[in-house]
Amino acid sequence: MSKRQLAMVMDLNKCIGCQTCTVACKTQWTNRNGREYMYWNNVETYPGTGYPKNWMELGGGFDAAGDLQPGVIPNLEADYGVPWDYNYESIMTESADHSTFKPHVSPTWGPNWDEDQGAGAFPQDNYFFYLPRICNHCTNPGCLSACPRDAIFKREQDGVVLVDLDRCQGYRYCIAGCPYKKIYFNPKISKSEKCILCFPRIEQGLPPACAQQCVGRIRFVGFLDDEESQVYKLVHQYKVAIGLRPDYGTQPNVYYVPPTESPAKFDAEGKIIEGSTRLPIEELEKLFGPEVHHAIKTLKAEMKKRKETGVSELMDILIAYQHADMFRLDNNYYQEVAKEQKRTPLAPVDTRYLAGKFTKAGGHH
Amino acid sequence: MKKLLNSLLSLGVVASAALAANPAITAVKVSDNLDTIKADSALWSKAKFETVILYPQTSIEFNDKKANALVANSKGKKAQVAALHDGKNIAVMVKWADKTKDVEQCMTSDVYTDGFAVQFAGATAKPQPLPYIGMGSAGRPVVVHLQKATAKVYEPNGNKDVSTQINRQQTGVFGKELADFDAKVASLAKTDYEKVFVAEGFRSTTEIKDNSVKSNGAMVHGPAGWSGTLSRPLKDEYVNLKGTVPVAIAVWDGSSMGRNGLKNLSSWVAINLEGQTANAAMVAELTTDTKGDAAKGKEAAATNGCTGCHQMSAADAQSLLGPSLKNVGGYATAAYLRESILKPSAVVVPGYNRNAHANTPWYNIEKGKRISTMTDFSFLDKATVDDIVAYLKTLKSEVE
Repeated sequence: MSKRQLAMVMDLNKCIGCQTCTVACKTQWTNRNGREYMYWNNVETYPGTGYPKNWMELGGGFDAAGDLQPGVIPNLEADYGVPWDYNYESIMTESADHSTFKPHVSPTWGPNWDEDQGAGAFPQDNYFFYLPRICNHCTNPGCLSACPRDAIFKREQDGVVLVDLDRCQGYRYCIAGCPYKKIYFNPKISKSEKCILCFPRIEQGLPPACAQQCVGRIRFVGFLDDEESQVYKLVHQYKVAIGLRPDYGTQPNVYYVPPTESPAKFDAEGKIIEGSTRLPIEELEKLFGPEVHHAIKTLKAEMKKRKETGVSELMDILIAYQHADMFRLDNNYYQEVAKEQKRTPLAPVDTRYLAGKFTKAGGHH
Repeated sequence: MKKLLNSLLSLGVVASAALAANPAITAVKVSDNLDTIKADSALWSKAKFETVILYPQTSIEFNDKKANALVANSKGKKAQVAALHDGKNIAVMVKWADKTKDVEQCMTSDVYTDGFAVQFAGATAKPQPLPYIGMGSAGRPVVVHLQKATAKVYEPNGNKDVSTQINRQQTGVFGKELADFDAKVASLAKTDYEKVFVAEGFRSTTEIKDNSVKSNGAMVHGPAGWSGTLSRPLKDEYVNLKGTVPVAIAVWDGSSMGRNGLKNLSSWVAINLEGQTANAAMVAELTTDTKGDAAKGKEAAATNGCTGCHQMSAADAQSLLGPSLKNVGGYATAAYLRESILKPSAVVVPGYNRNAHANTPWYNIEKGKRISTMTDFSFLDKATVDDIVAYLKTLKSEVE
């Protein structure tokens, strides 16, 4: 366990599946150098196969006794999908006979292959929601436990889980050990790589690219011990944000506000069945454990309270008025850590998100 | 084989053919410089090959479901090993059968490659105790030369070649300029996956990247399998090899997802440098069968509770506490086994991440030292220890 833990909360009621986070992450980190197939951030349709394919069935994580479970390493073509590209060059230069727009490999699978399919029968009771996923920067990471080389570490200062590429020898036990399959093998350099929670951005006062670019403002970032942070309030005060698959035993530090709103079902005549909801609570319980009941109860109660009285701190937080309130990156703290580690503290590139437990100065809005 | 072994044990007979220790190898002295020798060199015709058995590493089980299924019934492999020396360098050739040529093309996520490694002891003065076979042990370092059959590996980060890290589609160039970009990227690839490590116990392995070790490794695949060659100086800042050189050999099979501990390895093998005075004690230690009554040892192992924490054969459950001993007779020396019985904390490798099985710690850290949770058996009389060691030396798989 690290000294402090930086965490993210994602509000699933507000995710519209636009993939802006995915693209923000990809252009920042994974569009090059053997990382092309990787999605450190992806948004999948739930229920669905997810990314990589059927990741929830590939093992890893810990059992109730605390023992690491064996897992399976996904195949690039069959489970992740080859990042196919098109013949941009030849289409511009070759004769008209050959100028067909075609992929360089025949695509057989890829992320979001089953986007928006969901489950249930249209139009009676079909349903789905979007599940954005990054590395959970777990308190008890399966990847770290699986590594026989000590090549994975959890940063003491903020709990970010990183791969030491100098030590990594590409054995890939980490991929088997991560129950979320959020650590990837880079075949070009023969080492494992993963989401780094944009720590180089965070240390300079910028939220992770996925969070800052999110058009629905569903992502909150802050330290779990910072009682002023909205992350703290959502996770610890209101307890409406819960880790994904807590039964995996890794203690994830990305938290989700479960989806509470779904349309009512239709009967055989196409009429609304009053009081029904399409989203089975069993599915949410599978994803978020029994805590989800309490979270949904609180969310519903606060929504009602807001409707009736116009006042609810929780609803105000979830409306996400200001990025400056959503991101508390505690820049003074990072500056001090840098000094302790005899590194040169980096000047912040943005002054809006600097506040935190050890940083009084908030930025302008 | 297992039945046969049991019946032999019940007679109290040590089957010499099946259980014989690896023979000593003579490193033939040659006058040619060996620092760039390859597998096709005519010098190898002078070499004297000996059979060394490489046993599947089963001390710990890894968490790769598919790989574990593939290696579940792994057998010992026969390797032909020979050595040459020129007074300044030692060259080792390892030949082993492998029907599939698995060369990693660096294109996918779950493909593994064939490879081999030669391990040298960091301090060779005494035959007892040699470093622990699995990457050495605290205070007893080893140097490991690794050669893998890998097509192309890119490590541009190490060279700060940031401009070539982008995808070719993002270069914004076409035609000849793009072809030039591709050529530049290709030129940055390493086509020889050859690494040298220093280690004081499995998991402490650290790559030597400052070019302070010379290593000349290569692998050639033919109809009979692989021939791997390695030459290195007899003396550098990590090793000082003279007289009798203990080495250990490991091979990996890509088709059974071999990598890291999923390999076959030998016990320490003695290589005598021709023209130098052999270390008779070390040669005796590594080539002589253990004295002791294996059948009595089996009984003693049971009555002293060894089987409570250690898997002795495939039929027993794999324990999370003690390492599996089902192939320990194939790769551990008698001296190591004796030491581990009498002083369990003498060698406690950092090993598998303890967090993976947090509730069954096989060591505790006291005053910065790893203290084994195994009982100290120094109260046993010498004959019983000899018997147990003789029994443990019989624990190994069949040979292919």
